[in-house]
Amino acid sequence: MSDNKETVIALLGQPNSGKSTLFNALTGMKQHVGNWPGKTVEKKEGSFVHNGKNYLVADLPGTYSLSANSDEEMITRDYIASGKADVICILADSSQLERSLYMLADYSGITVPCFLVLNMSDVALEQGKKVDAAKLEEKLGIPVVSFTATDVRSYDAFYKALERTTKQKTVLNTEDLEERYSTIEEYVTIKSVISDNIMPGYSKMWLAAKAVEGDAPVTARIRNASDESKRKIVDDAIKAVDKGVLTMGKCKFEWIDSLLSDTTSSRQSKASLGKFDRIITHHIWGKPVVVLIIILGLIGSFIPALPLMGVGMVIGNIPDPLNEMLLSVGCPAFIAAIICDVIMRSIAFIVQMLGFVFGVTLVFGLLEEIGVMARISYVFDNTMARFGLQGKSVMPFLISFGCTMGGAAGTRVIDNWGQKVLTIALAWAVPCGAAWAVIPMLSTLFFGAWMPVIIAVILLVMLLHMWITAKVFGRSLVKTEDRYGMIMELPPYHRPKWGALLRYVLGRTKDTFVRALKVVLIVALAFWLLSYTSSGDISASILYKVGRVIEPVTSFFGMKWQTFMAFIASSLGKEGALGVLSTIFTGSGTISVGSVVSGAAAENINELLVANIPKPEALALIFAMTFNMPCIVALAATYQETHSAKWTARIALYYTVVALVIAGIAYRIGLLIW
Amino acid sequence: MKKLSELAKDSVAVIKTLNGDQRFMSRITSIGLTPGCTVTVIKNEKNRPLLVYSRDTMIALNRTECEMIEVEPGGKTA
Repeated sequence: MSDNKETVIALLGQPNSGKSTLFNALTGMKQHVGNWPGKTVEKKEGSFVHNGKNYLVADLPGTYSLSANSDEEMITRDYIASGKADVICILADSSQLERSLYMLADYSGITVPCFLVLNMSDVALEQGKKVDAAKLEEKLGIPVVSFTATDVRSYDAFYKALERTTKQKTVLNTEDLEERYSTIEEYVTIKSVISDNIMPGYSKMWLAAKAVEGDAPVTARIRNASDESKRKIVDDAIKAVDKGVLTMGKCKFEWIDSLLSDTTSSRQSKASLGKFDRIITHHIWGKPVVVLIIILGLIGSFIPALPLMGVGMVIGNIPDPLNEMLLSVGCPAFIAAIICDVIMRSIAFIVQMLGFVFGVTLVFGLLEEIGVMARISYVFDNTMARFGLQGKSVMPFLISFGCTMGGAAGTRVIDNWGQKVLTIALAWAVPCGAAWAVIPMLSTLFFGAWMPVIIAVILLVMLLHMWITAKVFGRSLVKTEDRYGMIMELPPYHRPKWGALLRYVLGRTKDTFVRALKVVLIVALAFWLLSYTSSGDISASILYKVGRVIEPVTSFFGMKWQTFMAFIASSLGKEGALGVLSTIFTGSGTISVGSVVSGAAAENINELLVANIPKPEALALIFAMTFNMPCIVALAATYQETHSAKWTARIALYYTVVALVIAGIAYRIGLLIW
Repeated sequence: MKKLSELAKDSVAVIKTLNGDQRFMSRITSIGLTPGCTVTVIKNEKNRPLLVYSRDTMIALNRTECEMIEVEPGGKTA
C-alpha cells in the first residue's frame, strides 16, 4: 500500500557538508532543477519512495547560517516559514563537527521537526574522532545519525531517523542554549515584548536572538507586530547591543562545546597541511599545479567521452546513404533533406559533443566530491574575485579552450547561480577547439608569417572581452554586497560515492541531450529553410536575399554578404564557416546544416578564399568568427545549465553584437595597414 | 594585541575581537572564528590568503579580512 500524501523533507547544511551528495544519493535521476521564483538562486527538488511512502526532497541553498545577509539565506528562512517542509534534515560534517554544528545552533528555536545527520563519519573515524550519536540524541531531543554517503548501511539509519522524525515530530531541545542566551540582558528584554506567532515556525527565542544579532528583517517584523511602547523597548535594547553577532555567536559555540565535551572523543588532531595541500598553497607552484590538474582532468574527460563520440560519428555517416535510399523509394527531395540534413546531422552533432559533456561532468564532479575543487577555488579565488567570480570559475574557462559546451557543463560545481551564469557568459569568449582548428589556418592563409601575431591579439582581445563582459553582466548577476574576500574552509578529502555520482552524471547528460536536441533542431531547421533552394543555386535562397539587402550594414563591420553568411554559419558551428564559403565561391550545392557541421569544403578552397576576400575583410571575418557565439550546442548547454531562456538569449545577442563590433574594428585597422 | 595578519607561521593566538560590518561578522562567526577561540596560523605569505586552523577546520582568509581580526598571541595549540 502506498500513501499518496508525500512527506516533504528539506536538506539544510553549510557548503561542503555533503548536502548535494546526499541529495543525489536519495533522489538519483528523479531531480528537477530550476530557480526560486524571482531570485537568482538555484532550486533543486527531487523525490524518492521508501517503504511505500513518497518523499519530496528540497535541497535548500547552501548557506553558512540563517542570518539575512544573502538571497540564499532569505530563501532558506522563508521556505522554513512557509510550512512546506514536514521535516528538516540538518547536516553537519563529523570531521569538523565543532564548526559545522553552527547551523544546528542557528536553527535552534525553529519549531519545524528536524533531525541531525553527522555526515562523513568515515573521515572523522580516520582522524580518530568518535561521536556518541545516542548521547547527542539524548541531549538534543532529536534523532541523530552517524552517516557515510558511501556506506550502504548508513542509509537504513537515515531512513529510520527520517521516519521517526516524521512520526514523532521531534523538535530540537533549546533549553541549554536559551539559558546561555538569557545571560544577555537585551535578549531577555526583547524576548519579553515579542508578540505571539509573528513568523510561523520561528519561536520567540529565535526571533529575539536574531534581533540581538542586528537582523534587519526580523527586527522589522517584531516592530510591526508591537505597539508604540513595546517598539520603544525593542529599539532601545537593540541600540544598547554592541556587536550582537559576536555575542550570540559566542553563546552558540559555547553551547556546541558543551554538547561535544562528553559526546566526542578524539586523538589530538594535528593542524598541518597534507603533501598535496602544501604544493597547492605554494606561492609559486600553486597556480601551475592547478592548471595542470585541470588540463589532466580535461584529457581524462575524453576517456569516458570516446565511446559516445564514436557513436556520434557513426550516426554522422548515415545521412548520405539514407538520403539516396529515401530518394530511390520516391520520397520527395525536400522531406529527405529535412530528415537527413537537418535531423540526422543535428543528432550526430549533439551526440558527439555529448560525450564531452558526460566526461567533463564525471571527471570534475569527481574532483568536487573528493575535495579538490575547493583547493582549486582557494588558489584562484583572488584572481577570479576581480571578475566577481569564485576560484572554481577558472576550471570552466580552461575547459572552454577545448569545448564551450564542456565548459558550461563544468560550471555545475559553482554553487552560486549568478556566478555560474557569469562564468558561462565569460567562458563564451574563450575560443574553443573548433576555433583553434580554423583560425590559425585562415590566419596563415591570408597573413602568412603574421599568424602568431594575430593569435596573440586574439588572446588579448579575449581577456579584454572577458573583462568588459564581467562589467556588463556582473552588476546584475553578482551583487556588490555579495562580493567579499575569501572566507572559506578547506574540507578534508573524502572518498567519492561512485553509484550516486554516475547516476547523477547520466541524468544530467540525458537532460542536456533532450534540451540540446530541441534547441539544435529548431535552429538547424530555421537555418536550413532560410538557405534552401530547390535549384541548388544559392542566389535563390532567402538567406542570400536577406544577406544582399543588409549588405550595406554588414559592410560597415567589414563583411560582404558572403563573409557575413560565413559569420552566421559560424554561430552554429565554427567549422561550418569554411563549408559555407566553399559553397558560395564554387557556386555549387546548397548551404545545408550538413555542410555547416561537417565543414566539408572544396579542394581548392584556399585559392578561392584568397582570390575572393581582400585582407581587411579576412581579418574582420577571423575576429568575427572567433568571438561569435561558440555554436548551437553551446547555446543549448548554456540554456540547460542556467535554466533561463532570458539569460541565454541575452548572452547570445550580446555576443553576436560584440563579435560584429570587434570585426568592425579589425576591419578598420586592416584598412589602415593594407 | 595584534592583527591576525601580523602573526608568523605556526604561531597560536586567541581571538579578542572582530571589526567590520554586520555581514562580515556574521560570515566570520558562522565559520567558527569568534572571540575567545584559539587559532593556529598554518601559512602566512605575502600577497596570498592566510591559512589558519581553528575548531578542527582549515580556513583560508583574505588578507584584508584578517586585518579586521584582533588577536592575543599565545595559548595552547588547537
